[in-house]
Amino acid sequence: MTDVALSRNGALVLRGFFALVIAFLYAPIVILLIFSFNNSEIPSFPLSGFTLHWYHEFIVNGDLRAALRTSALIAAATSVGAVCLGVLASLALVRRAFRAKPLVSALLLSPLVIPYLVFGIALLLLFHTLGVPNGALTVVIGHIVISLPYTILVLVPRLEQIDASLEEAAYDLGASRLRTFRSITLPLILPAVVSALLIAFTTSFDEYAVASFLVGPSTTFPIYLYSALRFPSQLPQVIAVAVVVLIVSLTVVVAAEAGRRIAEHRVGVL
Amino acid sequence: MTTPSLLGLPLAWLGAFFVAPIVIVALYSFNVYALFPGPHGFTFDAWRSFAHNHVYLRLFWKSTQMSLVVSVIIVLLAYPVAYYLALSGTKRKYILLLLLIAPFLTSYLLRVLAWKVILGDQGVVNSFLFWTHLRSPEHPLSQLLYSRFAVMLVLGYIWLPFVALPIFVSLESLDRRLLEAASDLGASRLRAFWAVTLPLSLPGVIAAFFFVFIPTLGEFVTPSLVGGATGYMYGNQIVDLFGTGFPDWETGSVLALFLIGVVAVLTIAFSRFLQPQQVAAE
Repeated sequence: MTDVALSRNGALVLRGFFALVIAFLYAPIVILLIFSFNNSEIPSFPLSGFTLHWYHEFIVNGDLRAALRTSALIAAATSVGAVCLGVLASLALVRRAFRAKPLVSALLLSPLVIPYLVFGIALLLLFHTLGVPNGALTVVIGHIVISLPYTILVLVPRLEQIDASLEEAAYDLGASRLRTFRSITLPLILPAVVSALLIAFTTSFDEYAVASFLVGPSTTFPIYLYSALRFPSQLPQVIAVAVVVLIVSLTVVVAAEAGRRIAEHRVGVL
Repeated sequence: MTTPSLLGLPLAWLGAFFVAPIVIVALYSFNVYALFPGPHGFTFDAWRSFAHNHVYLRLFWKSTQMSLVVSVIIVLLAYPVAYYLALSGTKRKYILLLLLIAPFLTSYLLRVLAWKVILGDQGVVNSFLFWTHLRSPEHPLSQLLYSRFAVMLVLGYIWLPFVALPIFVSLESLDRRLLEAASDLGASRLRAFWAVTLPLSLPGVIAAFFFVFIPTLGEFVTPSLVGGATGYMYGNQIVDLFGTGFPDWETGSVLALFLIGVVAVLTIAFSRFLQPQQVAAE
């Protein structure tokens, strides 16, 4: 193969380098997997036998299950809230012309760059000043802010691909704006809506910094993990949880990506 | 629906829960609001002592250096990876890209946990060295965990997949006919790379640098878990000022606003290189 971008040897070297990088990225995950089955309190060599004890420990650990449930609820509320706001904002950005558009889109995307630590503190001060008690609700409020730009980044390109004349035709034929949205726009952007929901869900489910300032008495999964990381006795159990969560999230990511490609392929790019 | 009715809710949400909180931080930094009841009113005291007390500024500079080193190293590592995916003509490039990105989409804390298990005094690396008698258990490699090195290694590990994305996007959109033209005109591949590919992919490289430099600059989770005393960063200082030990919200607010200010200036400076599809291209 002669190629303008890469010689045959160059391609081989780069392929080797790529393999090394992948090995570097996955080795720690594989090591966690191995030690999650290791029959010892301390994750160290030599391996001392196979056990499912740590998996059993975490399944019967009520605190951990409660933290997972809290995180799932917060993430579900966040994803619905962020996607609703994201759809509204994306429709305005793509379908409407207004003078302040560059400014508005900069504001809508600015939570992408704010350090989460500073944002968490800022919300803490706001709620403290207003006398609002911390809890799951305050975490959801913060998580919607940080997830909103991600939903817009997924929704806007999809909306741009859809011909606005389809919506205009429906409107001309007497459908209300709402009806037009429900029967024309929404079905066409559905794959992107699902992606946006998933992205907002995973952003919230994994978020520690903002939640740590706002969570109050309840515990989310990242907060549980963070404190467990400080107690060595809980380490093997946490490793077992880690393996389950990593495998579930890798599976969801791959499935979502495959699903989106299939769905967009079927709907077709209009 | 009219434009105001579409934008009303999102903008009101950001106004109330994004802009207003930052304004409140500013009010705390000027002592208009204060944590403890007592005399308060508008002063510049906290800002003045921040500018004169070099402890905080020196810490900020140290964090900046750490973020810079991490960002530059992983951009250099990510470039050939992105180049391979975008230009080697491999048919499975999107599958390989997903393989590369997937770790980034899993839990952040769990990836830090993995390194804690690997680097500790009793950890995977050291126990392996003891087991194979390459090192005696009395003398573990103790600088591995709780050091500046550990913080930088873990941050690099976490952000490496993400950094490859914007570089991939810029190389992917490169018009191959330009390279063919360069080659027809007698340029070697190396020459074509320096004269065509690299300059055209520079916006992606700059965006990649930005996307890792900004979040690592305000990092506090990784240093607090694997950093020990030498890996302590500016973000840890902010957390401590708002912590339960000796809270000083006035000084903490100054530090927080200073960080926002630096990030805002960098964002504006880099804005012409930043395109939405660079983060959305999954």
